[in-house]
Amino acid sequence: MELDAFRASLDAWLDSRRDELAPTYAGAGTLDQKMAQIAKVRRLAFDAGWARWGWPERVGGLGGSTLLRAYLSEAITARDLVEPGLYSMPEVLGPSVVSFARPELSARVLPPLLRGDDVWCQGFSEPGTGSNLASLTCRAVRVTGAGDSGAGRRVTGEGAAGAGWRVTGEGAAGAGWRVTGQKVWTSLSQYARRCVLLTRTGSAESAHRGITALLVDMDAPGITIRPIETMDGEQEFSEVFFDDVLVPVDRTLGEEGQGWAVAMDLLPYERSTALWQRAAWLHRRLRDLVDAAEPGVLDPLALGEVTQLVYAFRARSRATVHRMAAGDQLGPETSIDKVLLATAEQALFDLAAEALPAEVTTGDDAESARWRGEFFYSRAATIYGGTAEIQRNVIARRLLDLGSDR
Amino acid sequence: MIDGEELTLFRQSLRQAIQSHNGTALDTALEELGWPDALAADARGAVSVLFELQGAANVTSSALDRVLASALGYGGAAVVLPAPAGWAAPAVLEGGRLRVRGVATASLGLRETALVVGRAGQSHVAVAVETGTLARRAVRGADPALGLVEVAGEVDAWRELGPADWRAAVALGQLAVGHELVGASRRMLELAREHALARVQFGRPIVIFQAVRHRLAETLVAIESAAAMLDAAWLDRDPLTAGMAKATAGRAARVTARHGQQVLAGIGFTTEHPFHRYLRRILVLEQLLGGTHALTRELGREILARRRLPAPLPL
Repeated sequence: MELDAFRASLDAWLDSRRDELAPTYAGAGTLDQKMAQIAKVRRLAFDAGWARWGWPERVGGLGGSTLLRAYLSEAITARDLVEPGLYSMPEVLGPSVVSFARPELSARVLPPLLRGDDVWCQGFSEPGTGSNLASLTCRAVRVTGAGDSGAGRRVTGEGAAGAGWRVTGEGAAGAGWRVTGQKVWTSLSQYARRCVLLTRTGSAESAHRGITALLVDMDAPGITIRPIETMDGEQEFSEVFFDDVLVPVDRTLGEEGQGWAVAMDLLPYERSTALWQRAAWLHRRLRDLVDAAEPGVLDPLALGEVTQLVYAFRARSRATVHRMAAGDQLGPETSIDKVLLATAEQALFDLAAEALPAEVTTGDDAESARWRGEFFYSRAATIYGGTAEIQRNVIARRLLDLGSDR
Repeated sequence: MIDGEELTLFRQSLRQAIQSHNGTALDTALEELGWPDALAADARGAVSVLFELQGAANVTSSALDRVLASALGYGGAAVVLPAPAGWAAPAVLEGGRLRVRGVATASLGLRETALVVGRAGQSHVAVAVETGTLARRAVRGADPALGLVEVAGEVDAWRELGPADWRAAVALGQLAVGHELVGASRRMLELAREHALARVQFGRPIVIFQAVRHRLAETLVAIESAAAMLDAAWLDRDPLTAGMAKATAGRAARVTARHGQQVLAGIGFTTEHPFHRYLRRILVLEQLLGGTHALTRELGREILARRRLPAPLPL
């Protein structure tokens, strides 16, 4: 299907199902409410076929350009049906699992993800591993079933009890991985059925070469989740502890030691369709701000500048989404997209805090809570997904070719 | 559409012309290369390629006159532009008289008539005015090399050409100046980058210092955001987007100049380094066909008055 036809028919469907698709709550809603809303929208859009376009047929999709995926996320965000930060996880994790998981695995796990039946989380950051992702220490060692040769025994995520397993020597054909360590800032892990987990399988000094990616079932014994309350009052993030968690070997994404390639493969998706959805969200919130502000409160110069920032980010993101759809290899130039998003987002909510002072400071109704929550959340825009400083380092080294900074 | 190999050749021949010509000689070279035909066939290709090169090389031509005249549909004339910062038509037609106040490129001095757009009530009209009837002052100002002419006068004789779509002409002119600003900004960034790599202090090139690197990175972000807005304006053909693109390009040029000058430090404050020529140029171009602040404030006013945002760029 072509984008123009998709756009017209999806818009018609969204309008005709307006009541069914609408959230049942006003304002921001609780995290539980928002997650239930996203699941509902995903299910309806998947069952009607919309959410299957842009995904390969072998994982339950209907094929077609990634532009279709981008437009779906734009359309439901423009209509205030979903919140992009919570919605976009499948957009970010899904494509790389399609590329790196064994075909039987991706065919099994992707459809419930796309239909909103399952939530996934991303286990990358650790307490000692923020900007320097290659320093991660969450350990995975190869193990095999005791009393058998390692061959022939089928280990499933559900049945992988710890008893009877033993650690094998290096290079042995084990039946699985035993994972021990800690992750942090793991979004939505308390809702997640599965986790794309980066583990250290090489020596402590192996840096990006000794990392292996696994698709872990979050109900496996040994996983403990401790939610972290952020300043916007949400429990979107958690610490996740792994104590001797057994993961079947067929859950390895790519080969042992290929985890860095998996992590890098995610980046183009995080920086294209997911950011395009943010552009739709910023546009809607800017419009809401113009509607909500009392006459005379918004300074025309400040409003004009924020509008230009929001539009420039959208223009940049559109070009990136089209480059990905055309098959271009996206790389370090997407750091510019990330900087533009963070700049526009913070500028928009700074303006909102000035133009809606009562809502942001003393209001306790649903809309006030939403403005305040988004203002707080925007403070993290220069931190998550690679800090503003890391983005500038990438731009300096990779795009301006300034050489090493050491 | 000029694209693929044709675009590469077009860019190459324009680059050669710009490297060896300036001013009226460049105008002649552009004629010979068929740039005016390219402008008629593919405005986006012709404008974006030429003006970025012109900005990068710090040369002048009367291409902006061509752009505005072609948008107005009255080709090949020197066009009176609005005075710095503004973008309203440079003349008012009232009571049988035409009051003109604006600037023009150096080509005005070579032509017997000037194309002037005047506001007449609610609409705009294009007229041809004899250059000799207008008071002209060769501008030195911040950028003498740009060769602008200040134009003023109140005349009662002109030849009416017909109605004018001034808004469309301004939009196209804003895109041209926007591309010139981007070209100049890219060159300023390159000058600062070369200096940072070559200049040694504390026994090391200053480019290893994060403070320097981040200034240069910030500059590239600003330039790319302007380039993206210009592309968007060519896509959606909305005059409002062209104004936003011009403002974004003006802001990017100022950001580039600020960071570039700081990285260049002492040498960038002298006339012994080419940087000053770019700073002078962008200072004037930023105000031409709408200053950044004026455009930005007007955008905000319009949004508040209509309680509506400009249409979002479609995927």
